[in-house]
Amino acid sequence: MTWHVLTVTTFLPLVGALLLFAGPARFARWIALVTTVATLAISIPIYTTFDKSSAALQLVESADWIPAWNIGYGMAVDGISLPFIFLATLLSVLCIGVSWTAIRTREREFYAALLVAETAMIGLFAATNLFLFFVFWELMVVPMFLLIGVWGGPRRVYSAVKFLLFTLTGSVLMLVGVISLHTMCGTLDFRELANATLEPEAQGWLFAAFLAAFAVKVPMFPVHTWLPDAHTEAPTAGSVILAGVLLKMGAYGFLRVSIPVLPLGVEVFVTPMLVTSAVAIVYGAYMTLIQTDVKRLIAFSSVGHMGFVTLGIFTLTQNGVEGAILQMLNHGIVSAALFLCVGMIYERTHTREIKDYGGVSRIAPIYCVFLTLFCLAAAGFPGLNSFISEFLVLSGAFETSGWLGGAAIWGIALGATYMIWLYYRVVMGPPNPGLEGKSLELNAREVATLLPLAALALVLGVYPEFVLSYLHAPVELLLAGLAP
Amino acid sequence: MSGPTLADLTYVVPELILVGAALVLILLARRIQRSRVAAVVTVFAGLAAIATSGWLLLPEGNESAFGGLIALDGYSRFFKVLVSASLVLAALLAVRDEERPVRRGEYNALLLLASTGMMFAATSTDLLTFYLALELTTLCAYILVGITVDRATSNEAAIKYFLLGSFASALLLFGISLTYGVTGETDYSAVAASLSANDGATDPLQVAAIGLILAGLGFKIAAVPFHSWAPDAYEGASAPVAAFLAAGSKAAGLAALGRICMAAFASQAEVLTTILAGMAGLSIVAGSVIALAQTDMKRLLAYSSIAHVGYALLGLADGSAKGASATMTYAFFYVFMTLGVFGVIIVLGERGKRLDGYEGLAAQRPGVAAVMLLFLLSLTGIPLTAGFWAKFVVIESAVRAGHLPLAVLAVICTVVSAFVYMRVAVFMYMKEPRESASPHLSLPVCAALAVAALVTLIGGIFPDILATWVVSP
Repeated sequence: MTWHVLTVTTFLPLVGALLLFAGPARFARWIALVTTVATLAISIPIYTTFDKSSAALQLVESADWIPAWNIGYGMAVDGISLPFIFLATLLSVLCIGVSWTAIRTREREFYAALLVAETAMIGLFAATNLFLFFVFWELMVVPMFLLIGVWGGPRRVYSAVKFLLFTLTGSVLMLVGVISLHTMCGTLDFRELANATLEPEAQGWLFAAFLAAFAVKVPMFPVHTWLPDAHTEAPTAGSVILAGVLLKMGAYGFLRVSIPVLPLGVEVFVTPMLVTSAVAIVYGAYMTLIQTDVKRLIAFSSVGHMGFVTLGIFTLTQNGVEGAILQMLNHGIVSAALFLCVGMIYERTHTREIKDYGGVSRIAPIYCVFLTLFCLAAAGFPGLNSFISEFLVLSGAFETSGWLGGAAIWGIALGATYMIWLYYRVVMGPPNPGLEGKSLELNAREVATLLPLAALALVLGVYPEFVLSYLHAPVELLLAGLAP
Repeated sequence: MSGPTLADLTYVVPELILVGAALVLILLARRIQRSRVAAVVTVFAGLAAIATSGWLLLPEGNESAFGGLIALDGYSRFFKVLVSASLVLAALLAVRDEERPVRRGEYNALLLLASTGMMFAATSTDLLTFYLALELTTLCAYILVGITVDRATSNEAAIKYFLLGSFASALLLFGISLTYGVTGETDYSAVAASLSANDGATDPLQVAAIGLILAGLGFKIAAVPFHSWAPDAYEGASAPVAAFLAAGSKAAGLAALGRICMAAFASQAEVLTTILAGMAGLSIVAGSVIALAQTDMKRLLAYSSIAHVGYALLGLADGSAKGASATMTYAFFYVFMTLGVFGVIIVLGERGKRLDGYEGLAAQRPGVAAVMLLFLLSLTGIPLTAGFWAKFVVIESAVRAGHLPLAVLAVICTVVSAFVYMRVAVFMYMKEPRESASPHLSLPVCAALAVAALVTLIGGIFPDILATWVVSP
């Protein structure tokens, strides 16, 4: 590969963000759309040239960055990062689609923030240097802060500041971890770090430092409280990015940093991690049940669903970890789609209260087809994507401990309950009088926005090997590093 | 010790340029009170000083002049360039300041003389030269703070600053005399040799001397617990003067501190580390937390600058050459981002001095708001801005020196200060404008903002550019 496909894919959105300010504001959404579609198109060679059978990093790019400190610029992909680059590039296109008519104020700034966020997301999943990883990690915070705070709902400033303070607190502690790793190993390259031997005690507290950042982003119980506020108040595109990609950054961090670099730290923390994951699944599900705001309900469901991810990762079994990664992808698809659905109808009704809806199926049948599909997918219905990943995580959990499996099943049962109940209250029954006279049906642009995610939910539900085939080799390698 | 020769003068060309320009301005002062000649002369003198300190005329390697009173190593050059750069930017910011002093000639001459003092403070290798240089700087600074004679706050600030500053100078002088009493020397290397000769045994008198000198310098750089003058002085002074104090004066203080620690008292590492780490920790905590309560932008920045000095001291507290380089990096980037923020304050005029004056700025002046956001992110320490790399290197020093709790404290306070800075961003981006946008946007201020923004951005993306310049003494 003579041209640096990963670097180009990563920084193209940033170039687009700068271009936005060259043209008039009314072209902003077009420039943003062209940029995101071009990014998606340019990233195609990443998938076509990728060798699934190899666990090694591929499409490796490296350059000197800060030679005085032995910090390099390094990018590459393996089977674990590949699906997330796809998810980030795809969701960015859809975010432009859903914001097309919803965002009419300060458009240039809005799309610039989205594009900067896209660069940060792609870069994070492609980075092979911890310093670069940290740079993208922090870079993500700024556009999200602005997206929530400027274009969000009524309590946007509170939510934006809460999001900022939570994530910064986590990431500055990670910074101490990054710096300590640098002083101990003299390098921040992931592969060299994985080969370094660190003292068990140091690994323990380093794990804790990184945990602070990753746990806030995932978010794990009990540091999840920023999530419902941020997701609820963010504009639809912001919620999609938050739920779709940002939450995966934390889990990805466990897979990329904690497990390969700090295996002894993992050993110390594995039980508390499993327990808090199980708590998150059950507690998250109960919290979801009592929500009366559609967006807040979907936001809270993320706590439980991401609990499955951390549960799967820390079972440290092939099935569990593969299931967790698939669950990350599936949650990215399904919760992003649900936020898109909510956003589309909110644009017409300007209410998020569940009690203001009802009988939507009579008014907007096409909308309800999509909503049905995504609600069932979120509930873990067989034949749709989440079923497979939750099943894999469950099998990993039962391999580890029956109690964990029991808790997870309990969470799945509750998950089906709240999704179906939400569906019942919004879609079934006689139409809510408040909705009369409003045209809620989707237009072609919105159908086009939802279609890719619907297709993915179906395809991954029927043929999960499509993604799993990428995961076998790298996950095997990941777990081999942990062998006692 | 041989007497000074004509050749020695080539070592102080930048200082001579500044002094020359200052003298010309004082001579012409009555004629140029209302024109911009003074500012132009200052800017060009500063640029010439940058050029001559940076790469012209000066011999390579570590050399000393005037019989060992001043040193001309990489460290000196680095700080000479930095001080001249902050002089140029501060002069540019002052060109169109609405509360500009009528006495433009004297105003610019004082800026030039203060910068000369700062340069000598960074280069001197003798306790007495160092004291004289520092006094030259602070005497000019007292007058600069009070130069807006028709404003009571300005006078009050100048008197407060003067009283506390003279007290600090007394402490410093007392420390110097104690050091002379213990070692019989004032030359840094001779002091160092004398101190390391009585190996192991720490003379309590010497500990007191070091404590007094550090306290005196702590005053100059406004480190806690010697910080109380800064908020009043910044608030009372006109914005360009406050910018110059916050940027240049702190950088020069750190430079002098770094050289004394590295060259004179290196053998007393334990004492130095204890005091410096303590000052650093206190400054970071107090600066970040008290800034939370401020509604006046200049006061807010005063507390923020106190916190930043704390971060910068983390590098020196390490006691190694690498730590000193970290402090140099921090000082360099700090100067530009601080001048940048003050530049935005000046652009906005009266409105820029209040926190709520920033409401809705992004809707009215997106460009100014974006530049301000960049500086605020840099002050917070978000990656891809210079402030992040500055924090990275000083926290690395703290971690490497084994001060892990201090490092954690420092990063936690980063979150506190993030709240402080991002509150301004919230006002700019997330509130509706209530006041009309100010018309001030003159070319000199734009130039200063552009330079500060470029350094902040380029320094953040390619931090390596400084690597060959930050050499400890």
